[in-house]
Amino acid sequence: MIKVRIPTPLRPMTGGKNEVEIAGNSVAEIIDNLSSAHPGIKERICDEQGEVRRFINIYVNEEDIRFLTGKETLLKDGDEMSIIPAIAGGR
Amino acid sequence: MFHIPSGILQDMIAHARELAPHECCGILSGKNQSVAETYRITNILANMSDGDLSRFEGAKLSDLQRLSPEERADIAFQMDAREMAMAQRDIRSKELNLIGFYHSHTFSPARPSQTDITIAMEFEGYRQKLNLPEPLHLIVSLEHTDKPDIRAYRIQDSQATEVQIQEISE
Repeated sequence: MIKVRIPTPLRPMTGGKNEVEIAGNSVAEIIDNLSSAHPGIKERICDEQGEVRRFINIYVNEEDIRFLTGKETLLKDGDEMSIIPAIAGGR
Repeated sequence: MFHIPSGILQDMIAHARELAPHECCGILSGKNQSVAETYRITNILANMSDGDLSRFEGAKLSDLQRLSPEERADIAFQMDAREMAMAQRDIRSKELNLIGFYHSHTFSPARPSQTDITIAMEFEGYRQKLNLPEPLHLIVSLEHTDKPDIRAYRIQDSQATEVQIQEISE
């Protein structure tokens, strides 16, 4: 099982949980399985083409998946995946 | 006390002016308490879909929903996540550290808004897990167009505390 960290804006979709345990061998599989457990969450993470939205970074352990093999990045038991919106703000 | 070369302070002001009335945003790198470089990051807010706006909360979300996409970037910013990741990689490759984030307030003072504080606290929750240093939050105010103001803050426990910055002439 992979520990997936859920960002604040998506927690209403996981019943308020900031971490969930999801089975899967790759980032893409984890996102699909996360969405089976918490319907609608994939649409919040990925756009219509299935690409990760422009304001979201996904990390496996401490590395951004863009510098690994993107959504095909493989995970093993004990790895952690973090879904993290980039910094924002406003006056 | 953080030390920032005058060229970098001027570059942040130039960035804010170039994008006004939109808010600009960027990243500062350096070592210890000295800033070495800036990375201009695209404010993608005007290109975000209505659904993506739920990244914001409460009053800010309501305000954004009332505006056109172009107008939204006047009152808020959202960094492009890919550019942010590329900047962090470049910083690491130069053996520097992430020192902080900056953004502009086009029409208001150089003080963190409630949205700035809420999102900074959200980031606090992630950054310790990712082994990133505590960032400074700098705001470039263009409220007085002929007298731009830059101030830096630490944001902890939902409180913003101003940190002095010293301009280093080059």
